[in-house]
Amino acid sequence: MRGGAIPLLAWASVLAVLMAINWIWTGDAIQVGMFGFAVAAILTNAIAFIVRARRDAVRRGPPPPAREPEAVPTASLGAVLVAVAATSIVFGLAFGRFLVYFGAGLLVVAAAMVLREVMAERRERRAWRTREQR
Amino acid sequence: MRSRRSRSGGWVGALTSTDHKRIGVHLGLASFAFFLLGGVFAVMMRAQLAEPNGQLVSDNTYSELFTMHGSTMIYLFVTPMAIALSMYLVPLQIGAISIAGPRAALAGFWTWLAGGLIMQSGWLSADGAGRAGLFSPVPLSNGTNTPGVGQDLWVLGVILAASGMVVMAGCVLVTIARRRAPGMALLRMPVFSWTGLVTVLMVVGSFPVLIVAMILLYIDRHGANIYSGFSGAIDYQDLFWFFGHPVVYVMFFPYLGAAAEAIAVGANKRWFGYKAFVASVMAFAALSMSVWAHHMFTTGGVTNQYFAFTSTALVIPAGIEYFDVAGTLVGGALVLRCSMLFALTFFVQFLIGGLSGIFVASPVLDYSANNTYFLIAHFHYTLFAGSVFGFFAGVYHWFPKLTGALLRERLGKIQLAVMIVGTNLTFFPMFLVGEDGMPRRISRYAEHPGWATLNRLETAGSVLIAVGVAIFVANVWVSLRHREPAGDDPWRGHTLEWATSSPPPPLNYEAPIPPIRSYAPLLDLREEAADRERREREQAGAPA
Amino acid sequence: MTLIALISTRHEYDALFSVYVPIALGVFVVIVIVILAAVLRYRGRPPEKAARWSEHNGLEAGYALLLTATVAFLLYLTFSAEHRVDTVSARERPSLTVDVTAAKWEWQFSYPRYGITVRSGTVGRQPLVVPVDQAIRFRLASADVIHSLWIPQLRFKRALIPGATETVTLTFTNAGTFTGQCAEFCGLRHADMVFTVRALSPAAFASWARAGGRTA
Repeated sequence: MRGGAIPLLAWASVLAVLMAINWIWTGDAIQVGMFGFAVAAILTNAIAFIVRARRDAVRRGPPPPAREPEAVPTASLGAVLVAVAATSIVFGLAFGRFLVYFGAGLLVVAAAMVLREVMAERRERRAWRTREQR
Repeated sequence: MRSRRSRSGGWVGALTSTDHKRIGVHLGLASFAFFLLGGVFAVMMRAQLAEPNGQLVSDNTYSELFTMHGSTMIYLFVTPMAIALSMYLVPLQIGAISIAGPRAALAGFWTWLAGGLIMQSGWLSADGAGRAGLFSPVPLSNGTNTPGVGQDLWVLGVILAASGMVVMAGCVLVTIARRRAPGMALLRMPVFSWTGLVTVLMVVGSFPVLIVAMILLYIDRHGANIYSGFSGAIDYQDLFWFFGHPVVYVMFFPYLGAAAEAIAVGANKRWFGYKAFVASVMAFAALSMSVWAHHMFTTGGVTNQYFAFTSTALVIPAGIEYFDVAGTLVGGALVLRCSMLFALTFFVQFLIGGLSGIFVASPVLDYSANNTYFLIAHFHYTLFAGSVFGFFAGVYHWFPKLTGALLRERLGKIQLAVMIVGTNLTFFPMFLVGEDGMPRRISRYAEHPGWATLNRLETAGSVLIAVGVAIFVANVWVSLRHREPAGDDPWRGHTLEWATSSPPPPLNYEAPIPPIRSYAPLLDLREEAADRERREREQAGAPA
Repeated sequence: MTLIALISTRHEYDALFSVYVPIALGVFVVIVIVILAAVLRYRGRPPEKAARWSEHNGLEAGYALLLTATVAFLLYLTFSAEHRVDTVSARERPSLTVDVTAAKWEWQFSYPRYGITVRSGTVGRQPLVVPVDQAIRFRLASADVIHSLWIPQLRFKRALIPGATETVTLTFTNAGTFTGQCAEFCGLRHADMVFTVRALSPAAFASWARAGGRTA
């Protein structure tokens, strides 16, 4: 399996066929355009999965021992604040300009927090790998 | 590695948790709260319509009620609940220890929740909440015809809620693609996970179009003339319905999956026709992306025949799914527990919605039924009599896994009975009054022979539904207060989530995952053990 | 000279209804019986008794073919009816043209040939008078938002979308008084956007028109 892409490729193909029939039957630009977007969105994901597919073959029996630990965060305040910031920006459009500015500032701070979390995760993983190799 | 914040447990730890199970639970609880709110709106509308020329609420308030009832139910209950179920269960079912992109999923949840609150905040504004209908067509919903910040907040709320859902769905999609346990081939994924996969495919493929439509609507409302004239009105509808049709399948598939799991486990038999089922849900979902303009048959602005063709073709995958239900039940060893009963009711009641859907898939029939109570009956049979009953099937099936406690069976059966009567009493008469000429989205109706009676029946039914939901809430309360411990696997489940503790530990599996040879790994093991035992008994009984 | 029957939307609806509804009822009854029978037959058995088989692709393929044939049959009926209602009716030579203008929250019906205009909705209730058994061309326009002209007796509705004039050709086959209603939510007083249709014999209609629309 190409990293789980096959169902996506199959689905995108069926959509493409339905799109083609739509184009022939209706010739409606916006309809074909929306169909095209959906096909593109699914194909983009499929291609991403293929490119990043791991070489693990499908195997029977119990799972093999992990080669590298999976880093699983338990909490992320940064992620929550990203959402709050986006909300503030959007709400500010209707409520008041100051919320848009506040949200933009918060977004920068929150993105930095998430970045810090992700980098700390990577550091931990690298440290584990070097420890294991010794 | 634990961040400083996660050590601070309690509220902060819970609300910032990136555990897919916690996010799923929070999403589910918030969605259920919105369900209750949307139900209050419904009962208020039914009270208004119980008599001709009702005077309980003003025309303006009524338009806010039907707009917010539809919006709350679709954007804030059935759809996000479908995502919540997928987010909680799919990683467990495929043997993953976490979801992909947990921070994104968390951010997505909060964005969705904020969108819901912003949408509802319109009630506090001077001109009231959104009131141009869930559909909110132009020119009705533009700045000239529906001015005011309440409608703006509705549009912004939709944008945020939909964005949050796209992100969460994307995380589930990547999880299915990349986080399956070794041995979990795609064609060994459980039935529920397949319905989860097609659900997130539809979300990713169609929700962004809604977001674009709403952004353009917002800009249109604030000066720019984006949707102008006849073609602008049709374009808006095309954009909206390109989302608006797949979303009703997003609101169907996970509940179909839940009902299917409940039936297979309740029948002690693996789900019948797995490969045909997978092909049919894929086809069903793909077709669902191509039928949207059947909502536009009466506009004269689209090619009705193409959409009649794709809409009627839905019979084929739907029929296969019903065949599989029968195939699972026949030859099984059926245990008529609540989850099974809710699931069976889902299939029977959904059928009424589905068949009436094929009816309105025919343009000439739709020219009569569109925008009448016939249509309201159709989609409430699919969404409420169908999906919500499928939701309860899933709840009764997986509540023990979630909480470690069993729900009371007796209360559940009472809930089921009350809801069956209430649901059919509310929605069946709508077919009749719609055929007789009652349009939708009207705040009052004149005297017509029979209408008052039918409407009163519907209102009585809605009260019964509320009673049924109250019984469910009571069941949850009692079951958590006076716990009956469920253990890991109270139902002899088939799929991996039953091989871990109830509730599962933070990383889902503490012991190694059992071998995966099919879409029902635990059932395989049980059958193997039974065969081995039988052979040993036979050998012992035949002395050498 | 052979008279070609005028397309009647009511008749087309009734004909399709009489095929779709019995099929739907039949399917529903069969599926409910199968499920009920299975539940009654297989409940309460010990789990070891459950069968192990779980697929029959041949049977499913055959069933899918049956479903496909059903879809083809329904589509044939649907396409034929839709063709008649939308395309063939447009080719009929109308005996009468009525200009319909919808605005919040009233209907204005004008008879250009007779110089008569009637209005209904929040402004009052002057009936739309029409002859039976004749093709009537309605030109539909909206002054503000989307409305929808719905006459339940005809089993027909069509949206009126501002920016373009749509044309539909309808025929009333029964004389009488019928209701009409706006079927697209159009704002505050959408519920009041109703009108009455009075279908008269061609002779009675002619005298109504001659009298300037004052008697009916």
